[in-house]
Amino acid sequence: MAGKGGATPSTYSPSPTTQKTKSLSFGNDDVLRPDDREWHQCRPAFFQIGVVAAAAGSAYADFGSTKVIVSVFGPRESKKAMMYSDIGRLNCNVSYTTFATPVRGQGSDHKEFSSMLHKALEGAIILETFPKTTVDVFALVLESGGSDLPVVISCASLALADAGIMMYDLVTSVSVSFLGKNLVLDPTLEEESYQDGSLILTWMPSRNKVTQLTITGEWSTPKINEGMKICMDACSKFSQIMKSCLKGLDSALEEEDSNVD
Amino acid sequence: MGKDSQWVTPGEVLGKASKFKAGRGAYVSPDNLTVYASLTGLRRILSPFPTHPTSWKFEFLRPTVEVTGHKAHGAIPEPGSIVIARVTKVMARMASADIMCLGTKSVREKFTGIIRLQDVRATEIDKVDMHMSFHPGDIVRAIVLSLGDARAYYLSTAKNELGVISAQSTAGATMVPISWTEMQCPLTGQIEHRKVAKVGQ
Repeated sequence: MAGKGGATPSTYSPSPTTQKTKSLSFGNDDVLRPDDREWHQCRPAFFQIGVVAAAAGSAYADFGSTKVIVSVFGPRESKKAMMYSDIGRLNCNVSYTTFATPVRGQGSDHKEFSSMLHKALEGAIILETFPKTTVDVFALVLESGGSDLPVVISCASLALADAGIMMYDLVTSVSVSFLGKNLVLDPTLEEESYQDGSLILTWMPSRNKVTQLTITGEWSTPKINEGMKICMDACSKFSQIMKSCLKGLDSALEEEDSNVD
Repeated sequence: MGKDSQWVTPGEVLGKASKFKAGRGAYVSPDNLTVYASLTGLRRILSPFPTHPTSWKFEFLRPTVEVTGHKAHGAIPEPGSIVIARVTKVMARMASADIMCLGTKSVREKFTGIIRLQDVRATEIDKVDMHMSFHPGDIVRAIVLSLGDARAYYLSTAKNELGVISAQSTAGATMVPISWTEMQCPLTGQIEHRKVAKVGQ
């Protein structure tokens, strides 16, 4: 430490040189995305269950450079201060590691993610099966590479299934970004920083029900329609990977192309 | 895998509600009358009253489809379940206890229960003295009366087979029950009062 006299603080921080320096020509159709994907192609997805020994259920998900880990605890006794309730409770928390983002410590301004995760999962869990008790869902974003919330939601539903919590269906989630005139499926952090609007669809694939839809920015109705169709198509493909992961089949790195015509 | 032992995940269709009843790990959707799985595990079909020779006559008796085999979440107390609990605190009107086992299974997470004065025994409930029934550290067998209030489950020991099943004397030895209200220390011969459970025959 002392030997470095006068040098800048030696904490490691991945240099954010690629961020916002090059102007991407997103309006151009024949330009591929920074990671050579098609507009309507997802990043390769990987899921694994049972990664945290101490938790009742856990899952790890890895979508390109977005890496999250979700642990589920309980059902256990609710906190003392809470009111009596005939049905179970769901308690969600999303947090970022300090090294999750390119600039150190920037991932903490996602306070709304916890409540959004709660709303996305609440409708899919059969809360009547564990009256008066609480199920805790802790999501930790290890690396933030864009589309963090959708990955967290899908991963959390897998962790809940691993914990043996009764659910109506698995929950899958995918987001699209509006970039210029294109809809970009499963955007990366870089693409998200240029987006004009985003749509996050949370969907129960076999029940064909939407548990949450978050739209930001300016969207026309046909675009919302198109965006939802793209998302649902991608969600149903993710659900196949998630199912095979739960069934213990080898789901290692399955390339996703969900080209929508 | 055979048809009767298929590995399913939450949300998978198990059959039509007109053909099957939903057992454990399954539910019926009221929208399209379909039975879905709610857990991960093996799909099993249980025929109605398999030992009953005349069951084929009752066509309305549908087989039950259930999902078992994978880990389920830890047991949680429900009214009517027999629990083993450790007394943590004895007050004038109630004793609080930590539930440790549900039936024969130990709980994964701690649950607290309380035994109220009127639930200690079935007879002469106006003469019950809490301090002559339980001491902190006693292991009691109790039945869950209700989900209780926000804090704890309500437990009852108002049955012969319910009450203290293991207790230590002040000398530190495990006491021997000598009647349904008394236990004796094998080291000092001292007699202490408890609401003793009738164990075995």
